[in-house]
Amino acid sequence: MTPRLVVLELSRIEATHLAGLVEQFAELLDESGESLPDDPAVLRLVPDAYADDPAAAKEFRDLTQRELLDRRSTDAGAVLASLVGAVAAPGDENAPGDAESALVETTLIRLSPDDLQAWLRTLAALRLVLASRLGITDEDDHVDDDPRFGVYDWIGYRLDGLVRAADGDD
Amino acid sequence: MMTPAIAPERAEEIALGTTPDPHRPWQTVVWNDPVNLMSYVAHVFREYFGFSRERAEVLMLTVHHEGHAVVAEGAREQMELHARAMHDYGLWATVREAP
Repeated sequence: MTPRLVVLELSRIEATHLAGLVEQFAELLDESGESLPDDPAVLRLVPDAYADDPAAAKEFRDLTQRELLDRRSTDAGAVLASLVGAVAAPGDENAPGDAESALVETTLIRLSPDDLQAWLRTLAALRLVLASRLGITDEDDHVDDDPRFGVYDWIGYRLDGLVRAADGDD
Repeated sequence: MMTPAIAPERAEEIALGTTPDPHRPWQTVVWNDPVNLMSYVAHVFREYFGFSRERAEVLMLTVHHEGHAVVAEGAREQMELHARAMHDYGLWATVREAP
């Protein structure tokens, strides 16, 4: 796993959707406080480290929760920064002429090893949040005609591609 | 094969001992979840623990099929560091005393 630059190909419309999701994710993190998260999606990002010892679990949480959620925010910011040049310009979807081809145009996003780490962790966290919102508790939970599952699957597809790139399997 | 004899005083010590065994290791356990991709979990094991591809795959499949896997054993503080690192990746990990 030699550190190297990974080049990700995304269409502008994908980049724009992804940036929107990551922005919502960052807002969700901003709303989380110091105490035990009451949002199950956020709680999933900072699970109990002791199954049968509430006191030890709380001590661990007090020491780690803030840092972990701050890192999720930092990672989300890094992902958004690398998407800046790739998102569709406002109004593209309404522009005359080549608007449609502009949206499906492929853009190349160059990810440094640090960027790649931020992308992997953010896409994995985003899937955990989406799964919580969708009520996924089993691997077979899937509603094929619900477009939100399409988004969930798409993030998984992109994450899997980046994992292969990171492992040098491509 | 001969069964090693336990000296009476040693047997008593075991039966009456109430303090935790300082030599009993702690464990970091990673639990299965329905969300994280198998490829991602194996990647995390390779990257963070430096496991070979084969070992990472075996551990990932253990998590997937058995519901959990012990990924590290040792001092409690070290196991907490590992659990925090797993949480940082989005994996669900706990710390426990070795059963």
